[in-house]
Amino acid sequence: MSPPHRVNPQPISLSPRQPKDPTTTKMARSNFSVLTILSVILLLPVLSLSFSPDSPSDRRLLVLFDDLSLKSSHSIFFNSLKSRGFDLDFKLADDPKLALQRYGQYLYDGLILFSPSIERFGGALDLAAVLDFVDSGHDLFIAADSSASDLIKSVATECGVDFDEDPSALVIDHRSYAVVGTEGDHTLIAADDFIESDVLLGENKIEAPVLFKGIAHSLNAANNLVLKVLSASPAAYSANPSSKLSSPPSLTGSSISLVSVVQARNNARIMITGSLDLFSNRFFRSSVQKAGSPKKYDKSGNEQFVAELSKWVFHERGHLKAVNLRHNKAGETDEPAMYRIKDDLDFSVEIYEWSGKSWEPYVANDVQVQFYMMSPYVLKTLSNDKKGLYHTSFKVPDVYGVFQFKVEYNRLGYTSLLLSKQIPVRPFKHNEYERFITAAFPYYGASFTMMAGFFIFSFVYLYHK
Amino acid sequence: MARSLEGFLVLIVAALIYSSAVASVFQPISDSHRSVALELFTPLEGSFSSLAETYEALRTFEVLGIDKKTDINTAACQSVLETLGSSSSALKDLFYALKVKGILKCEIRKDVFEGVTSRLQATVSSAGALLDFYYSVGGLVIIKDQISKDDLYLADAEGVFGSIKALSQSDGRWRYNSNNPESSTFAAGLALEALADVVSLSSSEIDQSLIGATINDILKLFDSIEKYDDEAFYFDEKLVDAHEHQGPLSTTSSVVRGLTAFAAVTSGSLNLPSGKILGLARFLLGIGIPGDAKDLFNQVDSLASLESNSVSIPLILSLPATVLSLTKKDTVKVKVNTVLGSNAPPLTVKLVGVFRSGSKDTSLVEGQELKFNPESAVYALDALPKSVDVGKYTFVFEMVLHDPDHLNLYATGGQTQIPIFVTGLVKVDSAEIAVLDSDLGSTETKKIDLTGENTVSLSANHLQKLRLSFQLSTSLGHAFKPHQAILRLTHESKVEHSFVVGSSGKHFEINLDFLGLVEKFFYLSGKYNVQLTVGDAVMENSFLKAIGHLDLDLPEPPEKAAQPPPQLLDQKLRYGPKAEITHIFRVPEKLPPKELSHAFLGLTLLPLLGFLIGLLHLGVNLKNFPSSSVPAMFAVLFHLGIAAVLLLYALFWLKWDLFTTLKALCFLGAFLMFVGHRILSHLASISSKLKSA
Repeated sequence: MSPPHRVNPQPISLSPRQPKDPTTTKMARSNFSVLTILSVILLLPVLSLSFSPDSPSDRRLLVLFDDLSLKSSHSIFFNSLKSRGFDLDFKLADDPKLALQRYGQYLYDGLILFSPSIERFGGALDLAAVLDFVDSGHDLFIAADSSASDLIKSVATECGVDFDEDPSALVIDHRSYAVVGTEGDHTLIAADDFIESDVLLGENKIEAPVLFKGIAHSLNAANNLVLKVLSASPAAYSANPSSKLSSPPSLTGSSISLVSVVQARNNARIMITGSLDLFSNRFFRSSVQKAGSPKKYDKSGNEQFVAELSKWVFHERGHLKAVNLRHNKAGETDEPAMYRIKDDLDFSVEIYEWSGKSWEPYVANDVQVQFYMMSPYVLKTLSNDKKGLYHTSFKVPDVYGVFQFKVEYNRLGYTSLLLSKQIPVRPFKHNEYERFITAAFPYYGASFTMMAGFFIFSFVYLYHK
Repeated sequence: MARSLEGFLVLIVAALIYSSAVASVFQPISDSHRSVALELFTPLEGSFSSLAETYEALRTFEVLGIDKKTDINTAACQSVLETLGSSSSALKDLFYALKVKGILKCEIRKDVFEGVTSRLQATVSSAGALLDFYYSVGGLVIIKDQISKDDLYLADAEGVFGSIKALSQSDGRWRYNSNNPESSTFAAGLALEALADVVSLSSSEIDQSLIGATINDILKLFDSIEKYDDEAFYFDEKLVDAHEHQGPLSTTSSVVRGLTAFAAVTSGSLNLPSGKILGLARFLLGIGIPGDAKDLFNQVDSLASLESNSVSIPLILSLPATVLSLTKKDTVKVKVNTVLGSNAPPLTVKLVGVFRSGSKDTSLVEGQELKFNPESAVYALDALPKSVDVGKYTFVFEMVLHDPDHLNLYATGGQTQIPIFVTGLVKVDSAEIAVLDSDLGSTETKKIDLTGENTVSLSANHLQKLRLSFQLSTSLGHAFKPHQAILRLTHESKVEHSFVVGSSGKHFEINLDFLGLVEKFFYLSGKYNVQLTVGDAVMENSFLKAIGHLDLDLPEPPEKAAQPPPQLLDQKLRYGPKAEITHIFRVPEKLPPKELSHAFLGLTLLPLLGFLIGLLHLGVNLKNFPSSSVPAMFAVLFHLGIAAVLLLYALFWLKWDLFTTLKALCFLGAFLMFVGHRILSHLASISSKLKSA
């Protein structure tokens, strides 16, 4: 479930700096630099594993192309990644030296597949290797286009997304296309049907439509981890624009997804789209006007959309951690080993969100805790203090057995939190029940008058004459 | 096999990347190039990282006409001075320093030049590798141009020419040096440039046979040219896994630079098909705006050398818009420019023909000349031909140069075919929807208005049919067949069914016989929403209309019927918070009120009271109490013992447990037995004395 233990990149700051004292002898300085180099070399294998639960951002990305000219035609996207601190490694998809891992360690934290037409990866990479990469908690970014190969399509299928099987089909929309003087076949779509989620697309609303030109995909209904981020309009359909439509298109309307994301159970994140051009400089810089709308935007929404989405995919947003799960009897501070039925207890947990640089308090009003044995006996929403501490109190139910405190937090776009802590609950001891019940007073009275009567009778019987 | 596959993939991918080039509308260099150039070539703290980069920036700015020299001037000139002044600087740096100096016109002392010149000349005579020749000869040419030193000649120009030529391969490519068997197209470009420089540095004519052999090489090189389906030509390296892989862009631009340089010095003896030169220009323009500084330099620099080459100057015919609206009365506008966007020489643009796309029939118009508007430099047609209706067309243009001398100078590429979309409004008429009985005909026919809102409500069972019909016609009254004419039925459970509406002429009709569709509909009865989508690339009023709903009554599904496919869950439902659960505690047993218990407590005291009253009433006395001291003591102890047992009982009830109580009872019992026995036997002896007395 959790990603393999990886050490965060901080150790580099431990490597000694150049000595500041100018009187240091040259000898010592050279020794020192040798030491520095040695320590760097020793640290290198450690540094290559930069992902850690303490800083969950992926730092090293492998970018695969069909053609290296994409590096130049999509440079704005790559430069924005670089400026956010990512380390990009560009390779041709058929490079015979391709490898995702060496000596059992992954060399990268994320894989960007911008090679739609590749039929066979080079080197040690294949479908199974890509899936293993995701299964071990790494992120994947796939952009296909009308040349999408079976390999890319099968990677997408494994992720819960089915591309249109017709290789010549493109998304066509005669109602919400982008008005461009030189594009007449309405395959350049101005899409603005975004998912409503601040965590996926940022807090700033994307005003301008996103330009899309490519192939359609649909979500696999059996996969409940995949989400449609950008959907086509109800009038869209997927077909070959240059041939007559004889049978109804397999994908129509809003069931067509233009951009989808998956968050796997191990919190690996995947983005899939049918348009490689979506990321191109040309679309980033292009002005956009949606058909039928008088408003013309100087710049398409692509740059903002892609930047926000990539922040999510590479764990700069929406990555939660929960720590310090605590519970105690009301009025006490220590965690008991066991509760009695009907005890009053306090429960608290701290939740933080990774902001790309540090852990910030996570504020939400829908975090819930369950007191669970086979099924939840108590399910309560936690209140928070805006500093990441979530708290509630409740009475232990009058059922004894082995219970669990369970925090199951699954929200759209956030990593899921699954915490549980086991705690037994016992019934009352025999001496913990109520004594001298009022209702029993007549019985007590009866016994004691009986006893008093007997005592008096013993005198009368023995000494009466 | 792998190689050809490789090339094929590159071809496909490149074709897709440059999809702006589809439809073969190439736009010349424009202002957006300038803004991107300024963005890409941003010096860090006033200087670039290397002289080569400085040169690339300066050259790009120069070609694009951006005046940024002053910003870079001082730092760059400083670096040039340092490089030229140092005797240990690399040949490559010397070369680029001279190039930068050529653009910036830095002040440099004469003796520095002398030193550099002699160094370069020494390198030329001893060089063996192609790059050495390229840098040193290129450097000498710049020195010659810069300080107008007419006496700067290569001593043995023909010899140098020969040794560069010796590196060429039979297929027109070049090797980097004689030890390395690998040849490359990129190197061919460098070699041609170096050869051109040698020719211009030569004091006498170079042997024509050598020139002829080189021209032959160039022609062979052009045999390996590659081509996209939109008539764009480019060069690519054959060796993909070569050490320094050059992409198609840098390879092509290297060849273009070498070619134009060589053509310039051999004045007219190089004859290349003008179509290929135009194709190279198309390739370079088809890239669009590169996002990489090096690529931008390669594109702009090679386009600049094409702009002024002596073989043939490509002219680019472009259309600002290929989508023409009939309702807005758009007309065909054509621009003709050179690759860098400057105006073309006087020429006429002719519309040779207009064809419906997909059909090879005769042209809709006769040859027509476009009118030139000198102010905007746009060639325009007065109005679209009357016979042009909405639809997709291919317009064929031809450029005719006015000056016959220009014919050899410019490459126009003959006829240019450009796909044009003519859009317009489509009339939608007599739309009807009806539910028919299979034998009797219509039961209810409802007219619908496909331009407004409709809320038709129909009901049908599996023995009936649904018929939808409408008419589409263009503004000229012709039949119109849209690409998308789809009827969609959506069940409440979100199961969708789409049907293509067929047509004959203007009339569109679809008949849904539910009897045959029962299985396809998964036997799902209930409310279906009916939607009609009609759309086409050339239809300006494409629509998606909700027509209303249909209540369908289908038979019960048989046992083995297919289940409808699962539908996606609502995302909110899946991720929202759950309903809270509070535990319901067991209710404690109901007890009588306190007062009642107290009242009954009082009642339980009554029998004791009655007992005491009864005793008094009977006149109880204690005369039998022993009078002698020993039995009296035993009597007192006996009753105290009984009282203690009763107290023990009370203690047991109040706080003691059974074991403490039993322990105490043991001792107390034994004591009680003893004293009890004494007093009882005493009482018994008294009573037996009384009886006997």
